Amino acid sequence: MTNSMSNIEFTTDLVESKFSVLSTEVVDKYQVSFEVKKEDVHSLLSLLKSSGWIQLSYLSAVDWPLDNEFEVVYIVFNWDKAVHIQIRTRVDRETPSINSILPIFPGCKYYEREAHEFFGIKFPGNPDHEKQLILEEWDDLPPLRKDFDPRAYSDKKFSKMEYKNDFVNTNGEVSKQDARTKRYDDIDKLRTGGKK
Amino acid sequence: MLSTKFSPMSKEEVDRKWWEIGDFFRRNSLWMLMYCTGCCAIELPPAMTSAYDMERLGMGPMATPRQADVLLVTGYLSLKTLRRLIYTYEQMSEPKYIVGFGSCTINGGIYHDSHAVINQLNKYVPVDVFVAGCMPNTEAVMNGFVDLMDLIKNKKANGWKDYHERYDWYLANQKAALGEVRVHDEFHE
Amino acid sequence: MIDILLMILTGIGVAFFGFVLQTSIAGVNRKVVARVQKRYGPKWYQEFLDIFKLLSKRSVTHGWIFDFGVIMALGVIIGTAMFMPLTSSFMAFDGYDNFFIFVYLIAVGMLGMAMSASGSGNPLASIGVMRALTTMLAYEVPFMIVVLTIIKLTGTSSLSEIGLFQQVAGNSWFLIALPIGGIVAVMALMGMLGKKPFETYIAPAEIASGPMVEYGGKQLGMLFIMHEITVFIEVSLFVHLFLGGAENIVLFIVKYFVVYTILNIISSVYGRFKIDQVVLFFYKWPLIMAITQAFIAIYLGWVI
Repeated sequence: MTNSMSNIEFTTDLVESKFSVLSTEVVDKYQVSFEVKKEDVHSLLSLLKSSGWIQLSYLSAVDWPLDNEFEVVYIVFNWDKAVHIQIRTRVDRETPSINSILPIFPGCKYYEREAHEFFGIKFPGNPDHEKQLILEEWDDLPPLRKDFDPRAYSDKKFSKMEYKNDFVNTNGEVSKQDARTKRYDDIDKLRTGGKK
Repeated sequence: MLSTKFSPMSKEEVDRKWWEIGDFFRRNSLWMLMYCTGCCAIELPPAMTSAYDMERLGMGPMATPRQADVLLVTGYLSLKTLRRLIYTYEQMSEPKYIVGFGSCTINGGIYHDSHAVINQLNKYVPVDVFVAGCMPNTEAVMNGFVDLMDLIKNKKANGWKDYHERYDWYLANQKAALGEVRVHDEFHE
Repeated sequence: MIDILLMILTGIGVAFFGFVLQTSIAGVNRKVVARVQKRYGPKWYQEFLDIFKLLSKRSVTHGWIFDFGVIMALGVIIGTAMFMPLTSSFMAFDGYDNFFIFVYLIAVGMLGMAMSASGSGNPLASIGVMRALTTMLAYEVPFMIVVLTIIKLTGTSSLSEIGLFQQVAGNSWFLIALPIGGIVAVMALMGMLGKKPFETYIAPAEIASGPMVEYGGKQLGMLFIMHEITVFIEVSLFVHLFLGGAENIVLFIVKYFVVYTILNIISSVYGRFKIDQVVLFFYKWPLIMAITQAFIAIYLGWVI
């Protein structure tokens, strides 16, 4: 157990001695997260790769609409020390773009395509990053942005089942749903004093 | 008084008789193609193995769409899957039937507001039998198959004819949801 | 003239009998396998329903070679089955029941199917055909060595005479007289029928039923008929060569049923080999056993 804690310390020392880290968060004893500036990502990843974090486990993004920024997350994994490292960086939301890490981790090819598809982030340096991967023939905003409304898209694009009223009411009884709606309306009326 | 004179049947009548004989064979030997898209597929192993033993009804799994009679769509269909499903359905040899499993194929189920999942399967391909439930239990699945056999017997399982007659309608729906039905990806070209 | 016509009619009758017999026994065997797996199993005539259902469906074609190959395979296999002696005295073409006729004609049927499957253009079909031919190459060698031993011992290659030889010698079946060779023959027969450990070229989960991947409807129905008659020929070969033929038709059916059922039960508890494992397996133990058996039987003359 002490071993894994020293792993975290080793990692933190390694990263913080060479780069200006904006914030460090130790998630648990097997996982640590560094937030760095956009320019430092490539050199930091090269350093980590040469220090044993040879596998890119995942690359994705988080949408922060209030900050008007995307947070790109790289997760690398070491097969000798049990530590996952998350590298987080912020990119501008209006023209999101960050250079590809294809020369460092060739396996990022498909992750970058996925991130471009779902968030619209551009990865110059990856020749395929604009090809479609999961969504085929997509014709709207990238769907994992927070300002994309999946329900409106679904209503617009896919036909819905239409239920007839007599299909809901069986045996001529008042449906429970209708009674519930009426009760809620009554409560609303009492609360607002009869005004709508 | 009964006439013993031989009265030849008309061509339609002969065709109808042959079709009825064929229906007897078709409903007693339904071969399934399992398009396991969602969680309802987990109901098929108990239906096939010793608990309910589907083979006593003459049903069995098949490896390719060409050999199969029934297409089982078990669960939700994303747009990408629907495109492949239409390919698969059109490859099957006629007469062919579709059984839709679970609420997802009926009205979208718990994925009714997803951007990637279609809501009503029978707008895109003709479905003969729906098995409702989220997920349906195995008795319901077996009952669905028996219903399909009854429909074939009563000549009501005409989804594949409907697909011929109203192909324009189905194609328009497919295009509205998918843009283009053809599969474009780097692994097929 | 009328003799030849009668012989041909009898031959077609033999082939039809083989089809009905094998299809019924295959149906019963589906029940047997179902009982092994604690299931109830389908009706005994389920195989007939399947075949007629397939013939009643509409089908697509992938070019004339696809259709022609199926018809060629079915025709050749029916032609092969016409030569098969049912009992040791009853056969359609007297004196033409040579073992080598069956070996070569079955290969022609298989080639017809291979041609047709390749004509479909599906890569899985090509893989399946390649695997089928490789498996054939693997099991033929030990099987042929054992059969040649029998031919050397009896001095004839006619099936009915080999059967009569065993009956005259007091029902000393070659399965018992040549025990090592008998085991080799059982294994080779399982390879011939494509039963479970050697099911490599069908492999539904892996290459989507191999050569049959593009067939549907009528062509698949014809292939099923062809398959049933092929199984009839191969199991009958085994009955005549190793189980002393049959004095009458009832004995033939009983022996046939026992052989096929035992093979099915063995098959139902096995997994599947890979194709290289099949070839290695057949070229290792069965080949060594077959050569040992041939040496013991021919040079040392030790026959039980």
